[in-house]
Amino acid sequence: MIQAAHVGIGISGMEGMQAVMASDFAIAQFRFLTDLLLVHGRWSYLRICKVVMYFFYKNLTFTLTQFWFTFRTGFSGQRFYDDWFQSLYNVFFTALPVIVLGLFEKDVSASLSKRYPELYREGIRNSFFKWRVVAVWATSAVYQSLVCYLFVTTSSFGAINSSGKIFGLWDVSTLVFTCLVIAVNVRILLMSNSITRWHYITVGGSILAWLVFAFVYCGITTSRDRNENVYFVIYVLMSTFYFYFTLLLVPAVSLLGDFIYQGVERWFFPYDYQIVQEIHRHESDATKADHLEIENELTPQEARSYAISQLPRELSKHTGFAFDSPGYESFFASQLGVYAPQKAWDVARRASMRSRPKVPKK
Amino acid sequence: MPSNTASSSSAPAGSADSSASRTKSKRPKYSKFTQQELPACKPILTPGWVILTFLVISVIFIPLGVVSLFASQDVVEIVDRYDNDCVPTPARANKVAYIQGVSDKSCNRTLVVPKKMKQPIYVYYQLENFYQNHRRYVKSRSDSQLRSVKDENQIDACKPEDDVNGRPIVPCGLIAWSLFNDTYALSKNNQPLTVNKRGIAWKSDREHKFGKNVFPKNFQEGNITGGGRLDANKSLSEQEDLIVWMRTAALPTFRKLYGKIESDLEKGDTIHVTLLNNYNTYSFDGKKKLVLSTTSWLGGKNDFLGIAYLTVGGICFFLALVFTIMYLVKPRRLGDPTYLSWNRVPGGGR
Repeated sequence: MIQAAHVGIGISGMEGMQAVMASDFAIAQFRFLTDLLLVHGRWSYLRICKVVMYFFYKNLTFTLTQFWFTFRTGFSGQRFYDDWFQSLYNVFFTALPVIVLGLFEKDVSASLSKRYPELYREGIRNSFFKWRVVAVWATSAVYQSLVCYLFVTTSSFGAINSSGKIFGLWDVSTLVFTCLVIAVNVRILLMSNSITRWHYITVGGSILAWLVFAFVYCGITTSRDRNENVYFVIYVLMSTFYFYFTLLLVPAVSLLGDFIYQGVERWFFPYDYQIVQEIHRHESDATKADHLEIENELTPQEARSYAISQLPRELSKHTGFAFDSPGYESFFASQLGVYAPQKAWDVARRASMRSRPKVPKK
Repeated sequence: MPSNTASSSSAPAGSADSSASRTKSKRPKYSKFTQQELPACKPILTPGWVILTFLVISVIFIPLGVVSLFASQDVVEIVDRYDNDCVPTPARANKVAYIQGVSDKSCNRTLVVPKKMKQPIYVYYQLENFYQNHRRYVKSRSDSQLRSVKDENQIDACKPEDDVNGRPIVPCGLIAWSLFNDTYALSKNNQPLTVNKRGIAWKSDREHKFGKNVFPKNFQEGNITGGGRLDANKSLSEQEDLIVWMRTAALPTFRKLYGKIESDLEKGDTIHVTLLNNYNTYSFDGKKKLVLSTTSWLGGKNDFLGIAYLTVGGICFFLALVFTIMYLVKPRRLGDPTYLSWNRVPGGGR
């Protein structure tokens, strides 16, 4: 009896639902086990690793920008961003794209996963969540936070438009926040192996949500505003050319590091799934082939054998029990032309069977 | 005997129950979303794409960098540090005592214009080592009080500069209390240059944050004077120096707009500045500088954007070359199965 395992899989079927109730995963047929492990298990591992790494990365980037700021505030603890921006960063402005990543991320298609079962080894070897991977993501977060923070604070020192006016703290921090939201969201597109339309919708939508929120939030004053309100900041920012120049430069430079790393890694130190992707890069998305074969469509051989089985045929009454079978008796009796009555227990047995006869009863 | 309906409906054809296409199927409704078959773009970062991206970035960024750098190089800027020189020599041993005393604080400075400066020329004061972004400082204000008279008594956040003998200070708080009060009078060839002090604050501040009916009250009447005084007859929305000062700066080195000169300055002109060195930056080793600067469409003298764009564009171009060379020298065939870990090292790989 199995006492311990990594995962328990129950197959629901003729033996009942007990295994299903006690298991972590339940499948309907034994052959679905290959799909469960090689396709869905693998994808699930990949997705969890990516979602977790991304979460740490985006929060690390965000928090580190504030950390660099503390060096310049006399370590007094002044927050860099407005409170609502900070709170909603994880709720609205960066939440949806990573959910879509976790739902849809596929490194290779299902049929390829089954064709190359050795890809499963990547999970066994823990290749997507080692300390080295974490270190790479952390370095990327540090780099991006430095870029977002330093580029903006250094370049917003003097006048920032032709009328000579100067930015205040909230202008600078809102600009850094905007660059950060854009960089962190577009990073999802860079780390996805398969980009669906939902990726575009959520990434674009999150950035748009941030802008809409900024427009609304910076456009209203209430009597209950705290004293550090960011009234009109986004409009002030958007009225300068400097804003747009910075918005193009900072996210591009932030993501450049990751882009270079991915290019070098795929070239010189490719993962197995990347090689498989390249081998099959010209094949179109054979979605029908990926499907588990549980549709009612038949192959030609299967269709023929089904049609033949529908023809009326002689049902053998031979049951395998020697000398005591009604089928045996009645068969030889009918050959010899002797009448042999049906056995009562056999009639009862046949009547209790639920299957419909293929041919009408004689 | 349990029924086998769970699997019977999905059994392949040919078995006894294949006529189950007519029995109710338990299979979930198919949709591309739930079966994860959404049409997807599967980008592969081949060397071609990498090189192409780098080239595109450099093609976009280098011209932008050139444009930004030209805009910044067009700007002429004169910076003059005066806080040390404007303390008379006998008082230099104890600058703090000097600045807190009542002696005459006027000081004469001379600036030479290095290049022709077209109007409007903006006059700034630059402070260094002054932490306007300190937490206790930033929160020490009352925005509701600044906006309307009826909220005059909302002074909780302004401690210790909230009231004087029970009467509320308008505008309260440390930010207003520490208002910068050096003044500059500029002249060229004995002709005074008018410094226009209107329109130096952001319009949104002037019109919405600082009320037109709010007048300064009980300001700088405490024991310690932190900075400048305010004209009690001018409403807050006209006190542009205060408005500019209260937009707290992001970093400890900052400049703020003092005014603008609306006439041209020629190369070689000598500007005489008669300034009043009132503000005490000596207690904390701060620096004060006077800045005259023109602006371009991108703002003041800011080489950083231009240099950053050019550097990034240059790096991308260089990387495109490096990758092309690496691609030619050490090519890896795309989709080469010999790189699969189970083909490379027996039982090995990443």
